Amino acid sequence: MSFEMWAEKYRPKALSDIIDQKEIIERLKSFAKSRNVPHCIFAGPPGTGKTTAALCLTRDLYGDAYREHVMELNASDERGIDVVRETVKTFARIKSIGDIPFKIMILDEADNMTSDAQQALRRTMERYTETCRFILCANYSGKIIEPIQSRCAPFRFAYLPREEHDRYLRTIAEKEKVKLVDDGLDAVFDVCSGDLRRAINTLQAAASLNKPVDAKIVYSITGRASPADVQKMLTTAMEGDFSDARKQLRAMIQKYGVAGSDIIRQIHIELFKANIPEQWKIKLADAIGEIDFRLVEGADQEVQLSALLARLVEAGCEIAKPS
Amino acid sequence: MRVLYTAWTVKYKPKSLNEIVGNKEAIQSLVDWVESWENNVPKKRAVFLYGPPGIGKTVSVETLANDLGMEFVEKNASDYRTEDAINRFAGLASQYGSLFGGKRIILLDELDGLTGSSDRGGVRAITEVVKSAQCPIVLIANSAYDPRFSNLRVYCLLIEFKKPPAGEIAKLLKHICDREDVKADEEALRFIAQRSGGDVRSALNDLQTLAQGKSSLKYEDVSWLGYRDRQETIFNVLRLILYGKTCISAKQAVDMADVDIDMLFEWIYENVPAHLTDPHDLATAMDALSIADVYRGRIRAVQDWSLMRYVIDYMTAGVAMARQNTKVHGWIPFKFPGRIQMLSRSKADRAMQLNIGQKIRRRNHISAVRASKEILPYLKIIFKNNASMAAGIAKWLDLDAEMVEYLAESEKCSAEIAELLSQDEK
Repeated sequence: MSFEMWAEKYRPKALSDIIDQKEIIERLKSFAKSRNVPHCIFAGPPGTGKTTAALCLTRDLYGDAYREHVMELNASDERGIDVVRETVKTFARIKSIGDIPFKIMILDEADNMTSDAQQALRRTMERYTETCRFILCANYSGKIIEPIQSRCAPFRFAYLPREEHDRYLRTIAEKEKVKLVDDGLDAVFDVCSGDLRRAINTLQAAASLNKPVDAKIVYSITGRASPADVQKMLTTAMEGDFSDARKQLRAMIQKYGVAGSDIIRQIHIELFKANIPEQWKIKLADAIGEIDFRLVEGADQEVQLSALLARLVEAGCEIAKPS
Repeated sequence: MRVLYTAWTVKYKPKSLNEIVGNKEAIQSLVDWVESWENNVPKKRAVFLYGPPGIGKTVSVETLANDLGMEFVEKNASDYRTEDAINRFAGLASQYGSLFGGKRIILLDELDGLTGSSDRGGVRAITEVVKSAQCPIVLIANSAYDPRFSNLRVYCLLIEFKKPPAGEIAKLLKHICDREDVKADEEALRFIAQRSGGDVRSALNDLQTLAQGKSSLKYEDVSWLGYRDRQETIFNVLRLILYGKTCISAKQAVDMADVDIDMLFEWIYENVPAHLTDPHDLATAMDALSIADVYRGRIRAVQDWSLMRYVIDYMTAGVAMARQNTKVHGWIPFKFPGRIQMLSRSKADRAMQLNIGQKIRRRNHISAVRASKEILPYLKIIFKNNASMAAGIAKWLDLDAEMVEYLAESEKCSAEIAELLSQDEK
């Protein structure tokens, strides 16, 4: 077993190493070949290869010395306008020495930039197109302002299909000499739903226990948003105890670091398994969807999910009423 | 199980004059004056008690009547606006002895509550009654020197009630804690007493909120009270919001709060479930908070703070209007926001997480914020279970000893990892 983080160790180094997102990769390869890259937006869910594709593209373009021509900024850490005005601008306006006349700026998690910063970025992109090309990586392209979108070539990254996800993890397991049991692989996919970075981290953490990686181990290490916990929280809510349900929710989020989106996904699954009248399932699916959408809009996880719990308390109470 | 509490301000209301905290001199002058009625009608037929709220003016009169076995008649601000009421009360005031032979004392409370032109007539009418009173009349207001009372004042004996010293309030709090089986730190009680600024009633309310149902009360449990100001306590603000009848009144409460909007949001978010118990009301109120929160997210995204008005609309009026079916009964204590308590406890925690996040970021092409949330939990598992893998990662990420200790969570694991790291250096 090796002693670094596998998600980095097995990150593809060249575009040709990337096995999925075929159409996107073909286009990027053609950019590398023609040695010209437009401004790009890589949009898609986490762990689908956006940053990897950007890094591979720059490697293919500049070779081993790629670091001199590339800057990687993370908008979640540096999301303000000052960063655009100073760091980004300074980098963008200085000409590159070498065969390729432009440098590349990778702006990761760009949807977390404030709109002020995005406005400032728009000008910078325009003015320094000759010397710098931008690749913006984002989960939601809708959060990138229109003027920037219209200046960029859009690329949509999708979750890895199941077969490729499995192939990838099996290869890593083999190289690291980890025994990966079939139901363990199912569990990883269930928990990470195609987010490859999470899947690899999950595999590594599970492997650290030095036992064959099976479903039980996978669920025991991935936060505590195990189906059982979510189910218990739902039952508590439907039986009318809001405060206790909220307490369970808080523990899941704060103590165990489970993401709100995971919990809501699990709630959605559990809802359809629940022993409640069929009409209610579809009514509540709407409530869940609405809260899911609000979460996407960047609201507070616990507040949103507990609003959903309150809705479930109400539903549980109405279902129990004799009609 | 839902427990209905009685307010401690009611439960521990003094029954006798000697139980009242502070103001010994003022109370003595009051007693002397009432007793002087035994001989004949004194020159001043009314006393005017004045002083800040919550220091025992009303209760002094009540317990005095009780101690001296007098018939106690109380009128408050809302009563004596109508001419009718004043006449009826004029009748009562015209004789010292009551129908059943006892002696009577009349209290007119909350004189500050008389406002507007219609009440100016009210003060005049009261003045007339005082002039010819045949039994002791006690007037109470926060300030006796309001111009409206200038004429009335002439006919009254003025007695000032002062804020009792914090030490005496702390003593009272101690006494109550003993009765409630709460082991309280002296330091904690002194803190509550000092913060109350002499307002015994609010000190009691604070104590109940903090201590009810607990077996002990430590300084840490109360120190957060420092967050708020005395002027308009957060509890009053919450009451106005959770029990608001109109949108305007609920919204106005925000101006009275001296905490910032996010903190107020936490207070409301924490207390909605206990105060809006009907499932439909609760769902509506929580939905209002959810929408308020969405607007907060939008403000963050577009940095347009003018949207704050919608946050306020939903978190105050939206919550107040949710009350449809929930009945109001009993006294339900307000709770300090649990998430803030967790946050302040884990402040050092979060700093550490972010520092580790920075280390991860250097290696992993992911933001420090996200790394600290998404990757750190996995590291914890690895550091707890597999020392050699952990040591490798610690080296690769360049983690310091403190970080290793944090991730390993136990001394045994972190020692094992440190051992491997030092071997590696050799």
